[in-house]
Amino acid sequence: MAESLMDIKRRIASTKKTGQITHAMQMVSGAKLTQIEKQSNVYQLYEQKLKETMGHLVASKIISQYRDNNTESSNDSMSLDHLLKNRPIKKTAYIVVTSDRGLVGSYNSTIIKATMDLLRKNHQNDKSKFSIIAVGGTGADFFKKRNYDVAYEYRGVEDVPQFKTIQKLVKTCVEMFDTGVFDQLYICHNHHVNSLTSTFTVDKLLPISRDIADEVDFKKIGNTSSYIVDPSIEVVLQKLVPQYIESVVFGSILDAKTAEHAASMTAMRTATDNADDLISSLSLKYNRARQEQITTEITEIIGGASALE
Amino acid sequence: MDESGVFQVNIVTPDGQVYSQQSRRLVARATDGDLGILANHLPIIATLQIAEVRSLCAENENREDAIAVNGGYLEFKDNVATIIADSAELSRDIDLRRARYAKERAEKRIEKAKQTHDVDDRRRGEVALARAINRIRVSEHH
Repeated sequence: MAESLMDIKRRIASTKKTGQITHAMQMVSGAKLTQIEKQSNVYQLYEQKLKETMGHLVASKIISQYRDNNTESSNDSMSLDHLLKNRPIKKTAYIVVTSDRGLVGSYNSTIIKATMDLLRKNHQNDKSKFSIIAVGGTGADFFKKRNYDVAYEYRGVEDVPQFKTIQKLVKTCVEMFDTGVFDQLYICHNHHVNSLTSTFTVDKLLPISRDIADEVDFKKIGNTSSYIVDPSIEVVLQKLVPQYIESVVFGSILDAKTAEHAASMTAMRTATDNADDLISSLSLKYNRARQEQITTEITEIIGGASALE
Repeated sequence: MDESGVFQVNIVTPDGQVYSQQSRRLVARATDGDLGILANHLPIIATLQIAEVRSLCAENENREDAIAVNGGYLEFKDNVATIIADSAELSRDIDLRRARYAKERAEKRIEKAKQTHDVDDRRRGEVALARAINRIRVSEHH
């Protein structure tokens, strides 16, 4: 008997307490998950509509016309040209969405690993070719520790993110894109499929490409070249494009956060299950040890009694 | 061509669909003036001001819904009008006391920004004030 009865008893008690904590955390994550799922459902409608409009505009060639007409325009027509135009790619930025805290199972490692694979594939790990915009502490710490160029980090995304808080991040990103810190912007995050699975996804944000038009069903649109644009294409785009980028970034973060809550819930459920398993095997051990002790005592008493006879 | 003279109006914000009704007439304030839309209008995209959007109910000609919309834009196509904005509130959902309070707060903010010459903060305050005034006006209409 390696452990004494008291030791086993203590271990059972401590495991039980840990199990209670993980169970509570599972419940909390579950509650947050339902909350955020509700929000992301309604939000998806907004994002989808916005994407549709952008798709219509791209499909109806308004944007490309605008692009062609303004090829020689100066920079004073705002950042708009930049947002739409493809320029030679010297540097690419990746927004990597991770969580701020741990206890989320393989959530963070999945994103970081997939991002690293992507970087290796696209840039052969040449650190001068890309920079990282880290949302969430885990990712920020990881990339900084490995001396990657972390252009911007954002910590403290709320449990249920608010549209307003993301606006600052988006503004910074667009500004950096404008000033030429990078020429391409991608966002990497875990897409929430259901409470057990999430998949790694990468979306291209800037410059806005024709890709978004691919998502639009052309048959449904029919003839789109006849849009009236009021008051002018410039004004509409100036309003629409930032709103579009904001919505995509916010959507991704919302999605990532949903996946995070789900991952956290699953991880905590596994932890609770493990604690239960451990407790049952420890109880078995404890009972056996106790039984053994009783048997020994009885044998001793019988031995003592028979010695007296 | 739809002869019924009725079309669908949807108002969508990040917090969900605020309004979804059949309508006979939609009036919104675009960047350079009021914009009236009837059924079978040509496809249009227009940016909106922080103002009131009115929609004449299809079933009941006497009912006109008023919605306070904070900017955004309007898209009309195939007899579906979609207004997409940061936020929007139906007149009957507006909490007048809160709107008045928001107005006071915005006024104070502008006053403070004027003293400190903070241009950004002043502009923010002005937008907040416009929103509050818009909400108060829409809510008092009904």
